[in-house]
Amino acid sequence: MSMDVNPSSPPAPGSVPGAGGDDATVLVALLARSSRGDESAFAELYDRTSSKVYGLARRVVRDPAQAEEVAQEAYLEIWRQSARYDTARGSVLAWMLTIVHRRSVDRVRSSEASRQRDTTFATLGDGPEYDVVTEAVTSNLESARVRKALTTLTDVQREALTLAYYGGYTHREVSELLDVPLGTIKTRMRDGLIRMRDTLGVEA
Amino acid sequence: MTSDAPDIHTLSGAYALDALDPAEAAAFEGHLESCESCRDEVRSFRDAVGALADDVATPAPERLRTSVLSAITEVRPLPPVVPVDSTSAPVSAAHAPVSAVSATPAAVDELATRREAKARRTPVWLQVAAAILAVVAAGGLWRSATLNRDLTAATTAAAQVTSVLTAPDATTVSSSVSTGGRAAVVTSKTKGTSVLVTDGLPPAPDGKTYQIWFIGSGGAATSAGFVPTGDHTATVLAGDPATASAVGVTVEPAGGSAQPTTLPVLAVKV
Repeated sequence: MSMDVNPSSPPAPGSVPGAGGDDATVLVALLARSSRGDESAFAELYDRTSSKVYGLARRVVRDPAQAEEVAQEAYLEIWRQSARYDTARGSVLAWMLTIVHRRSVDRVRSSEASRQRDTTFATLGDGPEYDVVTEAVTSNLESARVRKALTTLTDVQREALTLAYYGGYTHREVSELLDVPLGTIKTRMRDGLIRMRDTLGVEA
Repeated sequence: MTSDAPDIHTLSGAYALDALDPAEAAAFEGHLESCESCRDEVRSFRDAVGALADDVATPAPERLRTSVLSAITEVRPLPPVVPVDSTSAPVSAAHAPVSAVSATPAAVDELATRREAKARRTPVWLQVAAAILAVVAAGGLWRSATLNRDLTAATTAAAQVTSVLTAPDATTVSSSVSTGGRAAVVTSKTKGTSVLVTDGLPPAPDGKTYQIWFIGSGGAATSAGFVPTGDHTATVLAGDPATASAVGVTVEPAGGSAQPTTLPVLAVKV
């Protein structure tokens, strides 16, 4: 694994009673307690994260009922995997959102959902959905920090990131949607994330 | 392996965004094994990617909270990963069914964690399968007259699994299973064989079994076998995938059904 793992272990569960420590630290403690079967800790973890988890599933999957299913599956997986979380993998929240995003993307790419999406995809040319997606980052931002980071991106970087992350499109699909060569899309995604990362100051 | 193509490094962004198709994700994960700078880079993207979720936070319906908190009471959290002596394989795998091998060795848990550390995408299936095969091989330790036949069959099945998973034309389609866990179908056209690999599938309800189906383009279903019990399984499907357009799994009464009687918990195009 990585060489630069923070040698200080996460705070001992119980030493962070919810008050005090910053949010990220609290989540680490709650997850650790969950891994020992503490359902009330998981309930608090849920309360602190559900709007992000559900919101992400909803954004990618769109259909509220399916988004709920995806969020539920994701929370069950988080519960099951809680002992396997490792601080070297990034924050608890980022780890949880990775699980949610994968499941959301799986859902929209699975056969049942993809049939519905195919229709959308075919009519995407003048792009109501496309507009909605990009609008999300230009106008609907709750987080000034993220908005600021996104505004530092070029148009293609921003569009590539948002279509992939919120839209659940593969880089090939993004390349088609934006009519930009695949190689360019790959590098824009990477450059965009590098710039986001550096702007947000979340360098690992 | 095309993983050493000069521009493979540029895939780190698409990978972090879950924007690679399964084959590319597999190739990139192969590359990650040997490229520390890409590993570090992917890790460094995680919080930036997660920050994108800040924009779309939406209050979740109250019933989601109720159902999540009720569901966890029925699921045991996995144990933490502890270092194991790789020579001490568990004995249960010696009883692998004839047409399939399954195992839940600690070694697989370690793999599950490595998978978590990167992503749950294709090469994992190879790793899981490799771990299963290792256990089957170790099964020789408990070889006895009565077990001998089963073991031979299991070893044959294992060899078949290996040959499909390592076929140059092997394609993998993976998906989450609606009842929990994940599954992948690995198909080699030249070998005319598909393998269903599962990971973390919850046990079928009492008196039920997971039945696998090849589904033709017209929707006709043909039984392709059963998913054996186990946290990690690999099953050689009965039948030729060339005649099918999809593989599905349904929950059926123990012993199986002639035709699916419930909605699939898994359906992937092959």
